[in-house]
Amino acid sequence: MTLAVSRDLGTAAVAARVAGLRKVFGSTVAVGDADGQAGIDLDIPDGAVLGMLGPNGSGKTTLIRMLLGLTQPTAGDVELLGRPMPESAAAVLPYVGALVEGPGFHPFLSGRENLRRVAATEPLLATRAIPAAVDTALERVGLGPAADRRFRGYSLGMKQRLGLASALLLPRRLVVLDEPTNGLDPAGTRDVRGIIAELHAGGATVVVSSHLLTEVEATCTHVAVLQSGSLIAEGELRGLLDADATGLVVTTPDADLAVATLRAADIGAYRDDADEPAVVVPAGDAPEVIALLVRAGVAVQEARRRRPGLEELFARLTEGTP
Amino acid sequence: MSESPGIRTATLDVPRTAPLGRLLAAEVRWVLRRPRTLVMLGLFALIQVLIAIGVAVTDRRAGPGRGLIGAVAGNGLVLPVVAMTVALALLLPLAVAMAAADAIAGEAASGTLRGLLLAPVGRLRLVGMKAFGVLVVAVAAVLALAVVGVLAGLIVVGGAGGQLVTLSGTTLGFGEALGRVAIVAVWTVGQLAAVGAVALAVSAWTEHPLVVLAAVLGGLIVFGVLGAIPALEWLQPYLLTSGWSAGVDALRDPLPLAGMLDATGRALCYVVVGAAATVARMLRRDA
Repeated sequence: MTLAVSRDLGTAAVAARVAGLRKVFGSTVAVGDADGQAGIDLDIPDGAVLGMLGPNGSGKTTLIRMLLGLTQPTAGDVELLGRPMPESAAAVLPYVGALVEGPGFHPFLSGRENLRRVAATEPLLATRAIPAAVDTALERVGLGPAADRRFRGYSLGMKQRLGLASALLLPRRLVVLDEPTNGLDPAGTRDVRGIIAELHAGGATVVVSSHLLTEVEATCTHVAVLQSGSLIAEGELRGLLDADATGLVVTTPDADLAVATLRAADIGAYRDDADEPAVVVPAGDAPEVIALLVRAGVAVQEARRRRPGLEELFARLTEGTP
Repeated sequence: MSESPGIRTATLDVPRTAPLGRLLAAEVRWVLRRPRTLVMLGLFALIQVLIAIGVAVTDRRAGPGRGLIGAVAGNGLVLPVVAMTVALALLLPLAVAMAAADAIAGEAASGTLRGLLLAPVGRLRLVGMKAFGVLVVAVAAVLALAVVGVLAGLIVVGGAGGQLVTLSGTTLGFGEALGRVAIVAVWTVGQLAAVGAVALAVSAWTEHPLVVLAAVLGGLIVFGVLGAIPALEWLQPYLLTSGWSAGVDALRDPLPLAGMLDATGRALCYVVVGAAATVARMLRRDA
């Protein structure tokens, strides 16, 4: 494989990349084409916020685990910050923060003590900087008041916050968050969104898997959609949504006349008065539709391309209906 | 290499790990903060006191036919040696197995092994760190037995003027008696290192801490049974447990070292095998 490996951190155009990646557990294909031998190819651009979507069991976590060197791929290559994994784990992982498969901590230690233990293993953290880094991370996830309580007594949301704190102990180049909003209340979800936005603004690459589509739509620049181990869509979120934007929404007070006119010209149309009287034309050539309506005397206030939300796109992709 | 406040920066091509001393300190803190470790150490101390009281009480109606424990009567400094020998049969290996179970399988079960590998603590370093933690538990357990044993022996049982009467009938001064206790303590830690290495290997190969305890307990019982079958006498040199009574040699005068050295050599072989199995597994283990 010929991959351009940049020599220094600042110019890496791709934060993570997998090529031909497959993972088979026994006879179950977790990641990769179920029928053939093909694997997953995915580039995660530097500085992107990639939302990884997919139904339960679609291979999101397995893919993330292989990305981080926690699981050996059956076939294929993984590259993290431009270095091959898992060979370069010791060089690369210090720059990577991760929350994978829920937070793992010791119940008999307090949140702060748990975090100190994690901090002690962080290669890039100087010993004298540990207490401050731990305090900062705890504050950042809003655990300050509960820091000295035992982890045993934490609620699901607090556990999740502590897991986030351990991923954010020091500035990272790449942060991988597997279902970070699991068990969080709406305020916690908003906090996570804020943290992701901060990381993004700071130039870090973020990979976040989630089943909350509105969440992904609000925070991500890129998406990758997995189903049954296969990557069925990937790319910039805007681009994906735009590519899916077929059809036209015409806002008009004469909606009934508009529908009748279009149907008479064999163009499918229906009323959708959700916000204001409007006509949806699922498939139609914009100039032609508008010309028809204007000639028929329909007062066209606005005509715009129909842009489905991520939810609609996701449902269509994973249900396999074109 | 430039250094911004607190955060080290380096190029991506240099493998980095946290300082080894810091890792070991974190591991020891974790091991010693664990409630079950503390309970176990407390129980070991308590056992000594109970034996001492029992001996002191029965001593008043002392009669012939006293066993090893009976040798403690009026001879307090024998207590730690006897206690370590008796505990080595089951209690101490169990304590070490528990520590080894928590060390890898337990961390995997609580999801923290993942964190260690992601930090990353190198996989080889992780084995070293975990082995050190188990060794610390072994040392702490033996120390609890030895120190409390000496104190309980002197205070509750009472020594012959701070002296130790050996099984051979001679008398050792206080200093030399303490030396004998220290020898047995160090030797016992060596035997426990063998148990710990094997237990750690089991721990590396499983996700369930209980499997480690069951394996060590089962192993000890099977070794005991095998060692008791006369037709299998040729097996004796290979069984870790067959040299475990050698600790009592410290109560003889002059000190016969052959038994303890023999057992130490055997323990060393178990350590090597256990370490190899642990490393082999941990280099490729998923977490």
